[in-house]
Amino acid sequence: MMKKSPKQKLGRGNAALAPYSLWALLFIIVPMAFVAYYAFTDNNFNFTTENITRFFTAVSNVRNEDGSIKEVHTYLLIFRRSLKLAIISTIVCLVVGYPLAYRIARASKRAQQTMMTLIMIPMWMNFLIRTYAWMTILQDSGVFNNLIAKLGMGPVRIIGTETAVIIGMVYDYLPYMVLPIYSIMVKMDDKLIEAARDLGCGSLSILRRVIFPLSLPGVISGITMVLIPSISTFYISQKLGNGKFFLIGDAIEGQYVANNLHFAAAMAFILMVILLVFMALVKYYSSRYVNGGDAK
Amino acid sequence: MKKVISNILTALVYIFLFAPIVILLIFSFNESKSLSVFSNFSFRWYRELLKDRHTLEAVRNTLLLAASATVISTIMGTAAAWGIDRLRSRWYRGFMNTVTDIPMTNPDIITGISLMLMFVFVGRIFGARNSLNFWTMLIAHVTFCLPYVILQVLPKLQQIDKALPEAAMDLGCTQVGAFFKVELPEMMPGIVTGAIMAFTISMDDFVISYFTSGTGFETLPIRIYSMTKKTVTPKMYALATIIFFVTLSLLLINNFIDDKSTRKGGKKAKKAKKAKKD
Amino acid sequence: MKKLIELNNISKSFDGEKVLDDISLYICEDEFITLLGPSGCGKTTTLRMIGGFEQPDEGDVIFEGKRINHVPANKRNVNTVFQKYALFPHLNVYENVAFPLRQRKCSKKEIDEKVHQMLNMVMLNGFENRRVTNLSGGQQQRVAIARALVGHPKVLLLDEPLGALDLKLRKDMQVELKKIQKTTGITFIFVTHDQEEALSMSDTIVVMNEGKIQQIGTPTDIYNEPKNAFVADFIGESNILDGVMLEDYKVRFAGHVFECLDAGFGKNEPVDVVVRPEDVDIVPADQAELYGDVTSVTFLGVHYEIIVDICGFKWMIQTTDFVAEGERIGIKLDPDAIHIMKKSKYSGMFGDYSTFSDEMDELSNAGGEGEV
Repeated sequence: MMKKSPKQKLGRGNAALAPYSLWALLFIIVPMAFVAYYAFTDNNFNFTTENITRFFTAVSNVRNEDGSIKEVHTYLLIFRRSLKLAIISTIVCLVVGYPLAYRIARASKRAQQTMMTLIMIPMWMNFLIRTYAWMTILQDSGVFNNLIAKLGMGPVRIIGTETAVIIGMVYDYLPYMVLPIYSIMVKMDDKLIEAARDLGCGSLSILRRVIFPLSLPGVISGITMVLIPSISTFYISQKLGNGKFFLIGDAIEGQYVANNLHFAAAMAFILMVILLVFMALVKYYSSRYVNGGDAK
Repeated sequence: MKKVISNILTALVYIFLFAPIVILLIFSFNESKSLSVFSNFSFRWYRELLKDRHTLEAVRNTLLLAASATVISTIMGTAAAWGIDRLRSRWYRGFMNTVTDIPMTNPDIITGISLMLMFVFVGRIFGARNSLNFWTMLIAHVTFCLPYVILQVLPKLQQIDKALPEAAMDLGCTQVGAFFKVELPEMMPGIVTGAIMAFTISMDDFVISYFTSGTGFETLPIRIYSMTKKTVTPKMYALATIIFFVTLSLLLINNFIDDKSTRKGGKKAKKAKKAKKD
Repeated sequence: MKKLIELNNISKSFDGEKVLDDISLYICEDEFITLLGPSGCGKTTTLRMIGGFEQPDEGDVIFEGKRINHVPANKRNVNTVFQKYALFPHLNVYENVAFPLRQRKCSKKEIDEKVHQMLNMVMLNGFENRRVTNLSGGQQQRVAIARALVGHPKVLLLDEPLGALDLKLRKDMQVELKKIQKTTGITFIFVTHDQEEALSMSDTIVVMNEGKIQQIGTPTDIYNEPKNAFVADFIGESNILDGVMLEDYKVRFAGHVFECLDAGFGKNEPVDVVVRPEDVDIVPADQAELYGDVTSVTFLGVHYEIIVDICGFKWMIQTTDFVAEGERIGIKLDPDAIHIMKKSKYSGMFGDYSTFSDEMDELSNAGGEGEV
């Protein structure tokens, strides 16, 4: 009597899944459709491509350093800048985070735990506070400038430069790079490293021929985990860029504050499409070339 | 020599990670308003913080929101994980996994904007002038907490020997009884971790809250945002210091629990290691 | 034969536990040598020392006359087949085998030639582009062997390479490994805890226990002339009895005086007597030297394994004739069925079948905590 047919069991599984399915439909899928809907309509909800074309064609004048005035595509410039800063930050995170993850994974169990906790502590603090801390450090009269003044160097203007924005991004997102790389490295079989040494590899070629290729999945997820938040951030650029460096996130937020929801949606839509294409490419190439000797 | 260099570089990274926090900490006890010169030790900014009604209310709001979002997302997420684990159709399972991934891979700003657009649109249909409030924020928080719960519980479910509930039923349990006596205890570590993650992520979230919050309901991150928008006061430092010590103690407690549970299995592991040596 | 590797007075401790205790041994060119012992006996550590993964605390590792204690693994002309193969999961079969050749920057043509030659030898042609994670255990094993041999090392180290395979496959691989060793002429150093494997493949067996070498010899030597109770018990089945050597070629045990082939012991010296189960003859009562009651009979296909209680000592006897449980039988021992050993610290620990399962426990304990 108690035995249920497979179909009945399945029924229970579906019943348990139903609330979440409904929730996901209503609050994950439908809202995405709304982004597209708003992006392609005007204030009266009539179809238009105006918001999209505005992103690609809007122009404004900027003053060059020599005082001459130049006409630029406003939003394309902003997007290019976002992309540039995000890529630089990601590269810095990788260059700093990879050796660090390697170093932690090679440490003793006890040291590993301490070092990972120390990486996590800043991560668990609110990123507003983290960013804000840098703002007060890098200010013209901040701790950093006080320090180098004591060393007899002139004040350096950092706040309001791209460097400051990059420092903020690296600081905020470095743990996201270290974490996935570390978790792959710590699981790596020591025997593989021994095998490589046995077959004639020195330390450097072990790193190049075994450790790095094996850690690629971690590197890829680290890159996406740093690139995506840093390309879409708006607080970091406001605080550390002094609002002088508008990023794509700032543009979206600005339109939201100005209650220009359709144009905000259009920019969000474009960003979403670009990121989706990027993620799909990453997925395609990583399934093809990472950990797959299969030439098929 | 190589080791020394690598140790120095590692130390530099940690200094980079902790310098801002240490500076926050020190200057939160500064008597003057200066953020670069330390004059005298005092609790002035902590006193001022405690007098700030808005901030205290924001703390209360944050905890309320995080607790509600955690309860809802943990229950719904656990049930969902259980359902996904049972799915036979590979297509359906793949689809659910992809949908679950969306809030995790989408930038926060897009998740926030998308929910806001829908809330505003639906609100307009019902003629509400301001359609963003506590409830819209709660929906948003539950939405981005759910994937974390599911992704913590699902692996635990996949580890369970499928014969276990059958064995329990064979020994006289009803199907529901088997679930509570066999499956639930096995899922518990995942559920607890998922709930903790949901709580902390909800407390920490700024971007999505920013887009889905109305005027009446302010959480701590939003409060911090509006405080840092205007002038800089060391009151913020005091707040940051308190948050730092709260997160630090939570992490240490978490590590302590982890340590204890690994130590239980530690003897076995040591024996196995010894056997492996030869 | 030329000595290729020498280990001189090697000791090694991990966390204060002595794993190797003053080991000395030499290995000749073109030899198939097996390090045999229960887990924890130090055999893998010995192998890793030759491979360059561990350094001895004391003593020297000599390779072709040169001391190589601190030469790292990548600079030694020695390759290893690892216990769980340690194939690179990010490379396919071809690239795994080509790995050491690419390290030496060999030409494309040379790599191609050698890899195919190796895959041919291990019978994996056509598997070049397969992912190693999709191969069966036996196939992974072959890739590991091909990868270790492609660089033509002087010595191949094999760390329980057949442990993960099922019985049938293991037998096939034993034959194949032996064949590969003969055709390549490379010295094989093989580590196992499986005595049958050791007996069937090796030119020389090194029996180890508790970090010490118990005996070195050919398989027949080790089986027929075990040096102590541990070796006698670990290699094959044996009845080990307390005896007294009355004079040369005369020994008394089980209340009876037997003729034997051993000499050179002191007068009335207490000794351990080994009688292999297959060397005991069951005879009619009037020809018997000893009598006993059959307490259990197990049919094993080729023969019966019976436990016989003779004056309170339980003997194991293998016989092709059926005897019934409870039957009283007589047995007879030829002089060459009896092997005499000097008393050792293992005396009295092994070789009585009265508590069969207990004895198995003790054996595995002797392995597990053996390093203490």
